[in-house]
Amino acid sequence: MADAVFLAISVLTIGSAIAALEIRSMIYGSIALMVTLAGVAGFFLLLDAPFVAMFQISVYVGSIAVLILFTVMLVRRELIFNKIEDPRRRYAGIGLMIVIMLGIGTIIIGSGIKSMEVDAPAVDFREIGKDFLTYYSPALVVMGLILASAVIGALTLARREDVTDEQRTD
Amino acid sequence: MSSIAPEFRLSRFVASLTDLIFWVIVIFTLIGLPIVFILLFYIKLPVIDDKLLTPYLALTWLADPSRTLPIIKSLMHTDFFRITTFPGFGFAALLAAGTIYIERKFLAKMQLRVGPLYCGKIEGILQLMGDGLKLISKEIIIPAKADKPIFWVAPLLFVGTAAAFISLIPVAPGWVVADLDVGLLAVFAVIGFFPIITILSSWSANSKFPFIGGIRALHQMVSFEIPLILSLLGIVILTGTLNLTEIVESQQHYWWIIFMPIGAIVFFTTILAELERIPFDLPEAESEIVAGWLTEFSGMMYGLVQLGSYLKLYAFAALFTILFLGGWNGPMIWPPFPQEIITEGIKMGPITMHVPGLPLLDQEMLNGTLWFTIKTIGVILVILLPRGVFPRIRIDLLLHTGWYKLIGLSFVNIFIALALVYAGVLGPGGLIQ
Repeated sequence: MADAVFLAISVLTIGSAIAALEIRSMIYGSIALMVTLAGVAGFFLLLDAPFVAMFQISVYVGSIAVLILFTVMLVRRELIFNKIEDPRRRYAGIGLMIVIMLGIGTIIIGSGIKSMEVDAPAVDFREIGKDFLTYYSPALVVMGLILASAVIGALTLARREDVTDEQRTD
Repeated sequence: MSSIAPEFRLSRFVASLTDLIFWVIVIFTLIGLPIVFILLFYIKLPVIDDKLLTPYLALTWLADPSRTLPIIKSLMHTDFFRITTFPGFGFAALLAAGTIYIERKFLAKMQLRVGPLYCGKIEGILQLMGDGLKLISKEIIIPAKADKPIFWVAPLLFVGTAAAFISLIPVAPGWVVADLDVGLLAVFAVIGFFPIITILSSWSANSKFPFIGGIRALHQMVSFEIPLILSLLGIVILTGTLNLTEIVESQQHYWWIIFMPIGAIVFFTTILAELERIPFDLPEAESEIVAGWLTEFSGMMYGLVQLGSYLKLYAFAALFTILFLGGWNGPMIWPPFPQEIITEGIKMGPITMHVPGLPLLDQEMLNGTLWFTIKTIGVILVILLPRGVFPRIRIDLLLHTGWYKLIGLSFVNIFIALALVYAGVLGPGGLIQ
């Protein structure tokens, strides 16, 4: 059962990833990208990590895919991309990807991950949270500071001093 | 001689009927029965009274009213029943349909109008059925330059996402379709799909009013999702769980709205914005952009979107009930099942009928469902109330409210929750348990 589901999700994820790259219509491409990201969430569910899966869906499908969709709809395609039609580029890209995948694959298989326990009990996300707040708390603080500075930076960049809002009364 | 069908001959009518019956029998025996047997091969049949319930036995028992109840009881504990009927789609759709009627009457009374009056003689009670028939029988018109696949699929996806939301709602102890350990996160994940569907359907219509409405809906939903998530974190901090059932069980003695009124206010405001209801109904502003992102929908497609949005309304009201108003908790007011029917049977004159398996549903579940329904209907009425009172607000005020005030207030709520935990009042090992 799990094998069949794994196979189905793999086909869905990889197929829609290829579709996201190859489809001409950019809206359909971004829908395919959403399916890919949701398929990754499906892998997390299979791996007994529902917490990560739900965050994958709500952050990647719910927010980032929406941003991509929004950008695609509002900006004309010619402004973002200039088309260079060259089949050799595609083959070079596929070849490069295969080389990278083979390299990563040999490293992973050589690292002894083959011998992991398959039916180990799932790690409770509460334990991960506890670890984050005790042993790894400096990392959490640094992450929080980075995110806060990113948000403040984005707000500063988005602020426009030259525009005055005439409609606003408050 | 009737003028409607002048060529009518009774003999031809009877002949066509027998023809129809003949073909139905032929097709059923040649195609239907093999399919039934193939399906029976895969379906796991329940065991009742130590007997495997084969279809033959089930049909025999259905004819005997005193033995029908065990079959119904075993049916009620299947996943299929849960998804389609009780805590799932059927129950929610019933409440949602009731909401549409109540909304019209309630708003009419509030504005000194009468509302639907003629359909069904008594206060227009059949108005809803009439509306449904009208929507089903209307033609579905699709704009010529629309992107047809997305345009067709969007209403179905909208209803499907709303149904997925409903499946996470626990109605009574143990009565929930999907009892997830990360239930609240799953709710956030499901809510994230609504803006995508809205913007895709509005883009695919290829018309200016839906697109403007869709962009507005996207702005509004995405920016109000943040205070929505933040306003619920206080409860997660205090209960230490994301499971909705456990959150309800933690409110046996007091409701969270007592300790976190600010969170409740913020959550309620974001509900109004997520549901696109007045005063936040900018995506459907009918005086500016016809009907917003619903403009190009017609017939049953519009009906599906409306059904989806009212299912969403029910789901959000139920979520408010679960998180802030104690869910199914309440004093036991449901009368207990009379014991003498179980022990002695039903006496009708000289005849005594013993009915096995009679308390079809236990008292606790019925009481829980009653309280849950009462509270949820109350919340729905409060959500409907602003429609009769407030005008639509301006979009810059909307975004200002969402990004400045509500996010600030929800952080205040989180700090209140943290203070309660660190002062040792609530939470794990607190004074009040």
